[in-house]
Amino acid sequence: MDILEYAWLIPVFPLLAFVIVGFLGSKMKDKGGLVAVLGVGTGMVLALWTAYELLTTGRVVESSMEWVVLSTDFKLEMGMYLDNVAAMMLIVVSFIAFLVVVYSLGYMHDQGPRRHRYFTEICLFVGVMLGLILANNFFQMFLFWELVGLCSYLLIGFWYERPAAARAAKKAFLVTRVGDVMFMIGLFILFTELHTLNYELVWSALDTADKSLMAFAAFFLFGGAIGKSAQFPLHDWLPDAMEGPTTVSALIHAATMVNAGVYLVARSFPIIATSAEVSLFVGAIGGVTAFIAATMALCAPKIKGVLAYSTVSQLGYMILGLGAGAFLWHHGHHVEASIAFGAGLFHLMNHAFFKGQLFLGAGAVIHYVHTEELKQMGGLGKYMKVSMITMLISCLSIAGIPPLSGFWSKDEVLAVTFEAGDAGLTFMVLWVLGVLTAFMTAFYMFRMWFMVFGGKPNEGTRHATEHGGHKHEAPFTMLLPLILLAALAFGSGLSLFIGDGFFGSIYFEHAHVMSIGERLTEVFTSPLTYVSIVAAVSGIVLAYFSFYKTKVSAEKVVAKGFPKAMHQLLLDRYKFPVAYDKIGYVGVYGFSLLLDKFDRYVIDGIVNAISAFLVKSGGVVRKLQTGFVQSYTTLLLIGVSLIVILLYVVGALR
Amino acid sequence: MIPLEYVLILSSVLFAIGAAGVILRKNIIIVLMSIELMLNAANINLVAFSSHFEDGTGQAFALFSIGIAAAEVAVALAILLNLNRLRKSVDVDDINLLRW
Repeated sequence: MDILEYAWLIPVFPLLAFVIVGFLGSKMKDKGGLVAVLGVGTGMVLALWTAYELLTTGRVVESSMEWVVLSTDFKLEMGMYLDNVAAMMLIVVSFIAFLVVVYSLGYMHDQGPRRHRYFTEICLFVGVMLGLILANNFFQMFLFWELVGLCSYLLIGFWYERPAAARAAKKAFLVTRVGDVMFMIGLFILFTELHTLNYELVWSALDTADKSLMAFAAFFLFGGAIGKSAQFPLHDWLPDAMEGPTTVSALIHAATMVNAGVYLVARSFPIIATSAEVSLFVGAIGGVTAFIAATMALCAPKIKGVLAYSTVSQLGYMILGLGAGAFLWHHGHHVEASIAFGAGLFHLMNHAFFKGQLFLGAGAVIHYVHTEELKQMGGLGKYMKVSMITMLISCLSIAGIPPLSGFWSKDEVLAVTFEAGDAGLTFMVLWVLGVLTAFMTAFYMFRMWFMVFGGKPNEGTRHATEHGGHKHEAPFTMLLPLILLAALAFGSGLSLFIGDGFFGSIYFEHAHVMSIGERLTEVFTSPLTYVSIVAAVSGIVLAYFSFYKTKVSAEKVVAKGFPKAMHQLLLDRYKFPVAYDKIGYVGVYGFSLLLDKFDRYVIDGIVNAISAFLVKSGGVVRKLQTGFVQSYTTLLLIGVSLIVILLYVVGALR
Repeated sequence: MIPLEYVLILSSVLFAIGAAGVILRKNIIIVLMSIELMLNAANINLVAFSSHFEDGTGQAFALFSIGIAAAEVAVALAILLNLNRLRKSVDVDDINLLRW
């Protein structure tokens, strides 16, 4: 049996679970939790099997059927496109989704009948996310893209009775919608120019297509990625999205859905690479996002806030890597471009594992202390040994300490950015931003870790340990995913050394196979590697002294003057929420008001004026209706006589 | 043979008298009679042109017109009778319900 022919079953199982849980879940004792685990689990087994087959054989399989046929020129299809990138995404998404669903059994335990809705929506999400990965054309991707957006909206607003959650859900939906509209415009351009949206056909048609139109298409497609992957300037919805349950943050807003944007960039990589400007733009957006999101994470007051900014920042790294790749490709460095392409996706995979782990760990912490404020935690290390150690591994990984996974991928992204700097100086600036971001990443992650697990217990911790009755850590269903993900956060980077290595399996047209020795020599003889290691270590040391030893008081630093103003600006998220509101209220709402006024006074005015004229003139003319028949007759006679005379005068009767 | 002009002048005079009667007289019976007069003026025209152009269609038309006029008068008289019963009047100015 060839599993690749049955790969379409991968999303079917979670969707089947969605239907079963949706209709029957409320009657089940665990509100459908078990069915969800089974559905997602079956999907995972198939996905891992498919991915294994794809990666070991290196096959590329496409199958499709015509779906909407309006004319010979206008056809939409449904199908599967299975290649190495899809395989990697399948592994990441299906595995993390399965662990998160298992974790949810414990985490959502106290939510009662609401779990029914939760499990229904999470199954739907997993199904459509897997569908998105399998798509063989941009339109099908867009379809599932919108569906994951819907699930994101539903799950952010899971506690819809909280005004903040309802607001956050709306914001996420509307802000990503800006990107979706751009995605759609990109699709229109592609379709009108190339008459197809199929990946392979689009890629092969690029050589003969109009270059400037393709640049526009690439720009707008990337616009979709900006929205979905929370890139500057549409990044601000993601921190708000933390109002949803932590499992949702882990699955949707860290490990899977936000990666859809990066995946879109990977799929439109050849289109982006046709234009140097758009490639540069992609890289610049990625680098700038990585930097500013990291600065905001420095002083975020909530544990999930830190992680959310960190996610935005790391997504920026991935986009930076892909942008650098497209730029290198455009300038003819095809092998380097292929490595850069792999580097972006390598970071996507590693990030999904360690960030998923961090979110689930944060979930365990929040589950324990019932607060998200970092200031109220502290000293939890004594009570939550497993969470502490697993989160330490992930923190070290994201900070980029060798040999943990984050080190390999972040280093590779920075290296390719540096290489792209040879072709365009802007990438040099972006590389500097990237290194600074690496430093800040190490600092804020350890600030969080020390504030949660180190130091003396603050009121939240005391409350939980004295009155909460929680003498134990989270249940087993929650700890197992933590440990498994921590193992991957430690080791997923070592996929560099398995078989052909990561860059030998996940690449764009040019596989880059390197032996273990060569790889190690290359990494550890490059001065760039030591720059990023020094940045990471100094970040950790700084965090150690200011938040554990408290030799440097962070509060004193930001007490007055410029640091204080800067601190406030960061807490205000660079005023982005205010700007969104301004754009929303003043821009969009103001424009709508203007149109409303136009409608009310000009359009309605014309209609009303016509009717008012008729009513008024009718009031005057009706006086002619006297009711005296003889006056009518007289008028009739005069009228007819006048007509006859007139006709005679103009000569019609002669 | 009587020249066409003479007949046309007769019909015009008849029509003018009828029109004056319709406009000026207040008694509804006389108004009705005046209308008949105008109708007959038109009929004379039809017959006159028919003989002038030696085409029988005009005469046939006139016959139809006379027949229809008879039916119409019957209807009109019935309405008048009812009106007189209800209003106790034959003055056209009393019949002015249909107005603004």
